[in-house]
Amino acid sequence: MARFRSARRTDDRARRSAYSVTAGWILAHGLNPQISYAAPSQYERCAARSAAEHGSHTWKCCVPDGRACTRPGPARLVLFSTGGIALGLGLVAQFVLGDSLGSNDPSTFLAAAGLIAGSGALVGALTGRWLNADGPRIDRVRADTLALQGSYSGASTVDETSPPNLRGSFAPTLRFAHGDGRLRLTGHVGGDLGRHRVVDPRRQVANADGSAPIVRTSKILSVGVGLDLAVALPYPVMSRRRSQYLGAVELRWKPDFQFRRENIHAGNGSERWIERTMLLPLVAGLRWHVSPRQRFTVYFGPRFDIVSYAEGPNDRLRRGSPQLAPLYGEAWYDIDVPLQGRKRRSSTIVNSQFSAGYVHSRFDGTGLNIGPVVGFLGTIHLRAHLRIIPRGSKVAWQPTLAAVLGQGLRWNISLGVTLPEIRGKRR
Amino acid sequence: MTRNSSLATTTIAAGSAVALFALVAKSGCANPECATPDYRVAECRVIAENEAARLDVDERIEIRFQDPSAIDDSTWDAKGRLRRLGNVVYARNAGLGPFALSLDTEPGDPVTVDLVLENVARSMTVTVSGPGSNLEIAVDATGLQRHVTLTLPPETTTWIRGSLECADRYRLALSADIQTNPDHFRRILEHLAAEAESVAGTEPLVGLVLMGDLTELSTAEQFEVIAELLAASSVPVAVTPGNHDTYDSLQPYYNDFFGPGNHSFTVCTTKMVLLDSGSGTLAESIEARVPELLERQGAEHLLLGMHHPPYPGLTGAGWSREDRAAALLVEAAIADVDLIVAGHKHALVDFPEIPVGDASLHEIVVGTGGAFQGAGRPRYGYVRATIAEGTLETCFVEVSPPGATMEPTAKVPGQLMACSD
Repeated sequence: MARFRSARRTDDRARRSAYSVTAGWILAHGLNPQISYAAPSQYERCAARSAAEHGSHTWKCCVPDGRACTRPGPARLVLFSTGGIALGLGLVAQFVLGDSLGSNDPSTFLAAAGLIAGSGALVGALTGRWLNADGPRIDRVRADTLALQGSYSGASTVDETSPPNLRGSFAPTLRFAHGDGRLRLTGHVGGDLGRHRVVDPRRQVANADGSAPIVRTSKILSVGVGLDLAVALPYPVMSRRRSQYLGAVELRWKPDFQFRRENIHAGNGSERWIERTMLLPLVAGLRWHVSPRQRFTVYFGPRFDIVSYAEGPNDRLRRGSPQLAPLYGEAWYDIDVPLQGRKRRSSTIVNSQFSAGYVHSRFDGTGLNIGPVVGFLGTIHLRAHLRIIPRGSKVAWQPTLAAVLGQGLRWNISLGVTLPEIRGKRR
Repeated sequence: MTRNSSLATTTIAAGSAVALFALVAKSGCANPECATPDYRVAECRVIAENEAARLDVDERIEIRFQDPSAIDDSTWDAKGRLRRLGNVVYARNAGLGPFALSLDTEPGDPVTVDLVLENVARSMTVTVSGPGSNLEIAVDATGLQRHVTLTLPPETTTWIRGSLECADRYRLALSADIQTNPDHFRRILEHLAAEAESVAGTEPLVGLVLMGDLTELSTAEQFEVIAELLAASSVPVAVTPGNHDTYDSLQPYYNDFFGPGNHSFTVCTTKMVLLDSGSGTLAESIEARVPELLERQGAEHLLLGMHHPPYPGLTGAGWSREDRAAALLVEAAIADVDLIVAGHKHALVDFPEIPVGDASLHEIVVGTGGAFQGAGRPRYGYVRATIAEGTLETCFVEVSPPGATMEPTAKVPGQLMACSD
């Protein structure tokens, strides 16, 4: 108890200072400040003071984060514990309670999300210590307002082709008047830049020259549109006196519509048009700001698929009706890493973000298979983003390198631009 | 720039370099399919199953599995598995119905071959026809094997064909997922033997189809145990592998023991197409051939079986590539498949209406062959399809573990009922 009182006294001092700085910061820059280094590091002062008074109890210090202060260490500890419990529950449900109770789909996501939460918290602690990823909020990577993404996996078999894929996306953001939330319109259009070509490896059907005959070609078009609504919960949730400052939380709702249209030519001369639609009307989640520079985000919800087809270009499209599909989920851990010292006065500000995530969906490709565990998991995503913004500019450039780990590894490279958010009118 | 920023920049630069190297390396190193085999890859098993359907004996005679309707021996088809142990050639018929083998001899002296036909229904008529021999191979005293020793003239082709007389109404048993529990699977086989005997004169049981996960660890020892069980079965058994049967990268044990994972056969009025989904999806070349494999060829009923259910619902046990599963469902809708049967999920689940385009498909997941089902009382057994002209009825036959009460287990989601006898 005495330790908590001590922590509160330390927190109170840091918090009072943080609030005054934060209030000025918001007034000067709005709720989406582009330059954050103007704010002095309350955390570092507190850490120094705490080290002098108590040894090295820096976990008691809170870091100013917009509206309040966050204690990253305890927040991460709670996230790590929660993630561990989720992982354990998921594995128990999967392997002990087993198939007969029909819990495989949610338990798989629970285990994977728990793994992301736990490992994210662990990596967050390490990067917080070694990569300066625990300081006050920086001008972090945002969703690209406009972006172009390319991917290429190549073909490993002679006479087969796997063309590059290109996708353009948009995500303009409307910031609500009082700064407690925002609404983002998301969408993309893309597809293959050529046809996938597949050969038949059977020796008895080989061509006269010994090469394998081509038996299928295909090409896919991808379109998606959705919304992403984020609303901040009151912070701290409990009274300020009793709060442990474990980080702010946002509620999120992310309805989404995804459409894929694939044209297939098979070796026997048949042609197919296959349309798949994924409807995610009720996907909701939350984002936990475990530190001003670290966030854990989770989404979960039901999914409905529509499968339609036509036999060749002259056939009418036989449209299907919605069917209940596997559950949809996402879990992400983001870490902001500043790339420039506070005192440096260069003409450009460069920051980075590293993200690890799990997407519980195999709608767009191959899920992760581990040994005999086949057909249960979605994909693991690893992303490294840069944010490059000329000092004083409202436009930032954001190159991204992403790896998608399913059955194999797929690389994506994208270049995005973030434009200023649209601000809601104040009453 | 600070030490931290240098580290981060170095990390990003290294990541970019690795990505670039991976892209260049990938596009510049194309090889023929499975030049270095990895039998966890579905396409490599396609090659393995086709190679296992042909056997060259001492460069004197070449034996090939053929389509039952084939009259030309210039090619072959993955309809069975051939292997030689000592001086005896073992030919396992992969399907439950008619089969054909061609035996081509090289120039020189006449060739003698000891042949054991496996997985051949006792009611099947097996004939040998060729320049030097026209005979019928008699049924062995027990089991599903037929032994024959043939002496074949040089430079000739001899055919061995199996044909089956069918009743107007017959039964087919369907199950999956044995894995760690071959002991209980033996009880299921005993139950099937009793059923086959009791209905032989009226509504014969033409065979059992297993939708994968015969073993737990894909080892030769575990396949040996299952192969011995199936060899002792009273009815022929057709199989396709599951994910637990296909994760040995170095040896295609499944194909060595049982032959093709992708094959089709027609038994009486029913055509059954089995697809190897052990890798969570089909080999792309097989996917290209699905329209051809699903051609009815005169069969009244069309059944499609594989390990991973193409429509998993909320079972969590789906394909690794849902886009390919959807493409298969489209082909099933176009071919008007009567029933899709799968396993993977260790439970009994019935999806009576899966909308695909303007069609509706019926899928049953029957992972009840003995594998661990989790907490609660297990539901082991098989789905019985009773087939007659114009009808295909399904029900579930529960084979409880010893000591279990005979009270019915929980209701099956869907329309599937327990069999009344």
